[in-house]
Amino acid sequence: MGNIFSHDLLTRYEEILFIVAVISYLVCSGIFIWYLISRNEKAAQLGTILLTMGLVAHTFALALRWGTSGHAPMSNTYESLSLFGWGIVLFFLIAQRFYPIRAAGALVVPTAFLITSVAGVFYQGPDIPLAPALQSIWLWIHVTIAMLSYGLFALAFGAGFLYIIQENLLKKNYKGVVTSFTLLFAALGLVLGLWLGSMLAEPVTVQDPITRTVSNDYSFSDYFRIFGGGFIGLFVFLGLGYFAGKGASKRSFSNILPSLDVLDEVSYRGVAFGFPLLTIGIVTGAIWADQAWGRWWGWDPKETWSLITWLFYGGYLHTRLTMGWRGKHSAILAVVGLIVVLITYLGVNFFFSGLHSYATG
Amino acid sequence: MSAGKAAAIKGSKTSESLSGRSVPDLIFYLILVVTLALVDVTLSIYYYRNQSGFDMRWILAGLDISVILSVMGLAGKRVGHFLTSMKLALTMLFVIAILSIIGTWLPQGETVLESGWVKNPLYDVYRTLGLFNVYQSRWFLAILYLLAFNLGFCIFKRFPTTYRHTLKPRVDVKEKFVINQPLAAEIAGAGEKGMAIARETLSGMRYRIRPGQTGSVMAEKGRYSGLASIAFHLSFLLIGIGAMLGAVFGFDETVEIREGQTVDVRGTNLKATNYDFQIKYTDVMEEGRNTGSMPTEYSTDLEVFADGQSLERKVITVNGPLRISTYNPVPTLLASLKVNFHQASYYQSDRGVVSVLQVNQGPGKSLIYLGFFLMMGGICFSLYFPHRRIWLKVGDSGELLVGGRTNRAKVTFQRDFERLTSELRVKMGQEDKAYG
Repeated sequence: MGNIFSHDLLTRYEEILFIVAVISYLVCSGIFIWYLISRNEKAAQLGTILLTMGLVAHTFALALRWGTSGHAPMSNTYESLSLFGWGIVLFFLIAQRFYPIRAAGALVVPTAFLITSVAGVFYQGPDIPLAPALQSIWLWIHVTIAMLSYGLFALAFGAGFLYIIQENLLKKNYKGVVTSFTLLFAALGLVLGLWLGSMLAEPVTVQDPITRTVSNDYSFSDYFRIFGGGFIGLFVFLGLGYFAGKGASKRSFSNILPSLDVLDEVSYRGVAFGFPLLTIGIVTGAIWADQAWGRWWGWDPKETWSLITWLFYGGYLHTRLTMGWRGKHSAILAVVGLIVVLITYLGVNFFFSGLHSYATG
Repeated sequence: MSAGKAAAIKGSKTSESLSGRSVPDLIFYLILVVTLALVDVTLSIYYYRNQSGFDMRWILAGLDISVILSVMGLAGKRVGHFLTSMKLALTMLFVIAILSIIGTWLPQGETVLESGWVKNPLYDVYRTLGLFNVYQSRWFLAILYLLAFNLGFCIFKRFPTTYRHTLKPRVDVKEKFVINQPLAAEIAGAGEKGMAIARETLSGMRYRIRPGQTGSVMAEKGRYSGLASIAFHLSFLLIGIGAMLGAVFGFDETVEIREGQTVDVRGTNLKATNYDFQIKYTDVMEEGRNTGSMPTEYSTDLEVFADGQSLERKVITVNGPLRISTYNPVPTLLASLKVNFHQASYYQSDRGVVSVLQVNQGPGKSLIYLGFFLMMGGICFSLYFPHRRIWLKVGDSGELLVGGRTNRAKVTFQRDFERLTSELRVKMGQEDKAYG
């Protein structure tokens, strides 16, 4: 036990580093929200430095996990959510170097905190072996690229949402601000509630006698838990969103937010960079599936939903680049797009059965 | 007066033909529609009467859409424009997305027989509509055809312009052309000295400089963006054709073999023997305690025979299939294609462990892979390196005209443009008027 590089100790270091990262994200959420209210530039600088330190800790935690488990950290809920949060923070830190969007940190950093802390809830040790189909070099190529694209779509969403808020503020349409915040929080609450509810549900796993695919059989009480969770989440967050919207309905709030042009461009860039990555993610998935199962496309729910996401953002790019949509319309599409991404990323694993169901991510 | 004119135009239209087409055209379309419809109906009846192994749905769906397209062709040019429009493409993408959602919501294929849906009063309606087999249903395929048709037309329409922009760019331009660009500026008195500064600045920004014959200069970046976009769109057609070849000429079978058993591969004269099936387990450790075990690897020692002769023997694993290239079980137009044996899964039966293999041969796979690479490369080049063009020309009174345009990422290009003009203004000792 004297060896400081023993397997158990490395696992312990990983846990500690992960917790450090989550705590720094929590503190940074506070700092960035305070920055939004106070417009204190020092606060933003401090927040950025702390966030970078948190990201470094997070990076080491992920690297340690890679080392101790022997495979890329993306095979279970904890690993993939942790990686997702890491991607969001990374992109935010890069984007704020090039665009004046530090104010968006008040939205982005709490999201990253939320995602990583949920990852912590589903913590799993590094010693759970990989399912046979996942033992391939494609695992980390495919999942990393897909995660990066999700992170970029999340960025596009954040900028798109702030665009809508900023536009309403400039028009002094405070009702619009409150509605936007309420809707956003309600949707977020619904998704979170449904998701946590489905975690409480205890479905019976059934194997289909003909195709032998494994599916979940939900009983009435399971549905009660899932939709009950959804309802509670919806109403709690509806209230929160209403107050957040009221709080944001101030002229001074508009001055802190980036300009409409910058928000529009950042949102577009998020999609423009994320879409090729999603394309590569889907194609590498197809090549991998062709190798493992002998078919490159099989209309498995995860595949189908990734196609739907892809069609959606393809539509976004066409409306923008060839039909000349700008501003509000594009922003709304970017906001709705993240809902599709969330269904693909989280919803499919919990509500549909299929080949991806063992791979939470 | 104007009312009479309108009436006259209306009259002339109806006198020509129903839809602005000449009479021989109309007759041609009518014959086409009737022939296609007859072939479609006959083949459909044949297909549904004896549903043999040969999957004709792709062909039938193709015929369906050709009938619809030629009927629409009868209706005139307006409909023709609609058929090749972006609006139709977007609508089709939307429809495919909706159908896909239905497909993930309702059980697909044989699983529906095991589900509660059989007792649903609307079961028969859904079944007839093909909602329990969305992705193979005739009208889903028909939509794919329509999209392919639309896509092909869009590529066809756009290719000449893009080709010209990429390989034969307009270097020699008139002053008016420069001023009329979306971004334009005029630096008074800059003259040839300004031109030299601008060229230097643009080279520093990694623009490619192309001097023209008549004194104008063009600078550009990312010129393959447009062609890359076309390659990306073309990749769908390639993948679509590949998938169609696979569906019509290829085969894909699930084969189940117990240990020691030899089975026929349906639709071919291949036989496969499972000598040994192995599962490796690893103990799952959680917090230092053994909490059970999980399979981490399974494999089949497989030998494949054709007409009683051994072709190859290999231990196949999940990510390690057996590929046989020496034998062609199904005579196809494309000779010497590999037959693949994949270890798909396994299950426990009361007479032992059954290894489940996926055996397939896919003509068109190479097309599909070519499509994959075009798709990835095309979209990256198209979106990551947008085409940015700037023209420079010295005007009659010694002023330097600067005009520029881009196909994507307007704000980033604007930054390039402003950097250039401010550099010019500073170096020419001018006051920065356009700024603020």
